[in-house]
Amino acid sequence: MDVASIYYLGVTFLLFALFAVIVGRTYNRRDREKKEAPKYRMMDED
Amino acid sequence: MGQQEGYADDVVKGFIIWSIVWGLVAVLLGVLISLQLAWPQLNFPPYFTYGRLRPIHTNAGIFGWGIGSFMAFFFYITQRLTRTRLWSPKLARFQLCLFNVVIALAAITLAMGMNRSKEYAELEWPVALLVVVLWVIFSVNIIMTIVKRREEQMYISLWYIMAALVGVAVLYLVNNVGIPISLTKSYSAYAGANDANVQWWYGHNAVAMVLTAPPLALFYYFLPKSTGVPIYSHRMGVIAFWSLIFMYLWTGAHHLLWTPVPDWVQTLAMAFSIMLIAPSWGAVFNGYFSMNGQWHQMRDNYLVKFLIFGITFYGLQTLQGPSQAVRTFSGFIHYTDWVPGHVHMGTLGWVSLVLFASIYYIFPRLYGREIYSVGMVNLHFWLAVIGQLIFSISMWIAGVQQAAMLHATNPDGSLHYSFMETMIELYPYWHARAFGGVIYFASLLVFIYNLIKTATSGKPAPVAARP
Ligand code: HEM
Ligand code: HEM
Repeated sequence: MDVASIYYLGVTFLLFALFAVIVGRTYNRRDREKKEAPKYRMMDED
Repeated sequence: MGQQEGYADDVVKGFIIWSIVWGLVAVLLGVLISLQLAWPQLNFPPYFTYGRLRPIHTNAGIFGWGIGSFMAFFFYITQRLTRTRLWSPKLARFQLCLFNVVIALAAITLAMGMNRSKEYAELEWPVALLVVVLWVIFSVNIIMTIVKRREEQMYISLWYIMAALVGVAVLYLVNNVGIPISLTKSYSAYAGANDANVQWWYGHNAVAMVLTAPPLALFYYFLPKSTGVPIYSHRMGVIAFWSLIFMYLWTGAHHLLWTPVPDWVQTLAMAFSIMLIAPSWGAVFNGYFSMNGQWHQMRDNYLVKFLIFGITFYGLQTLQGPSQAVRTFSGFIHYTDWVPGHVHMGTLGWVSLVLFASIYYIFPRLYGREIYSVGMVNLHFWLAVIGQLIFSISMWIAGVQQAAMLHATNPDGSLHYSFMETMIELYPYWHARAFGGVIYFASLLVFIYNLIKTATSGKPAPVAARP
């Protein structure tokens, strides 16, 4: 494997890790109500 | 806060009206070029030939109708979701003028034959520079409004809006890098397979950032507003959003399967295209689950009918797209009429149906009048759906027939049919497509008539009246 391939692979893993963090944060059970709140607030009359 | 207290909605009206004008031009030209394919004697050189009119059709459709109305709705939705007046209404009004100048210049220069020969990035550099100015002005206005927002958390539509703003900017700048040799001619900075790769990285992400993210922003906003019931899951929306953004950027090379682009790039594009089914259907399921206990609204609420049919076409589109991205299937249908069938299920089915619903939602609110005729809305709906289906289905059949003919071989391995023989077989389908186009055009006339009557003689209505 050359440096470029390792670099590509590294970026891919980094993106994947970032995505995993986003999923973890979004589905954190303690934050459930907070994370669902926008869908109720947007229903307020415009 | 309502319109009276300060949302800048005049400019929303302006963008809606002008996007409808450009949409009418796009569909009219679509009908004309479909007639030109069916009856080649309808080509009148040099300006009224298929080659000159086709790019005007796609530019008027994607940029005039699509982006024009997205500009209106980004202004409308952002103000409401942030509970903040638009950062600069003056800048937005200037943007409306510039937008019309740019689209008109695009139509004129393309008619004159000035073309960079890159699909969806045809505009020569002086016009492309104006597009950049337009986009910067637009993005600054929306982003500043979001920065100054009075609502802490951001609803999912705002995420899609921001992705579209950033995404289009990056794509457009990279793919438009070129070397001008005169005021009307430039050459791409890339060459050969690299050029093709950059072009389709741009091309497919134009699908993502113009024909997917903005209509999804609208869908997530207008579905709950129309049904009166919140979206099923905001968190699922957020995850679907991020996975869509992660995946789309890798898929461009599915337009270049079986070409000199490196094999691994093609395989990567194929794999990511298939993975895209998950986030795409995340949005579809979010829409369907939001309808739990509300399906009766499909009968009595015309907005819901447009939105649910729209998201259903999106669902079909995002199953068909990944199939087309598989090497073997691509080898069969690429270079055939199958692809315009795919394109127009997306543009006429998904994008336009969601736009029609959104316009029907805000128009009575902007003008303070009830919609003039619900009967006409229903007529519009059915003509649009039937016209689009005739278009797409005839093209899919044509594509399969042509693919089968192009691949037929004699026992000695030579081709059984010449290319011209396949063309001759396509005429009946081209007639059918033109017929579907005329029906769609008729639907648009009903839509516009109804809106004009609503604005001029609709019954005054309470602002928040639901259909
Ligand atoms: C009834 C309305 C319409 C008709 C009859 C129509 C017709 C056509 C025809 C004949 C083509 C050329 C197909 C070919 O290359 O063989 C085309 C291409 C295209 N049209 Fe339309 N069109 C319509 C509406 C629209 C709208 C509203 C949009 C955008 C919002 C749009 C976007 C496109 C695009 C992106 C292509 C290029 C497809 C490709 O390269 O594969 N069309 N259209
Ligand atoms: C998961 C989502 C999608 C995937 C994987 C996908 C895949 C593809 C593939 C592989 C092609 C190339 C076909 C060929 O030339 O052989 C294509 C063309 C196209 N698709 Fe999709 N598609 C998706 C969704 C959409 C959506 C939602 C739209 C919205 C309108 C759309 C619009 C287009 C257009 C305009 C083209 C024609 C490009 C051209 O050749 O000029 N696609 N798509």
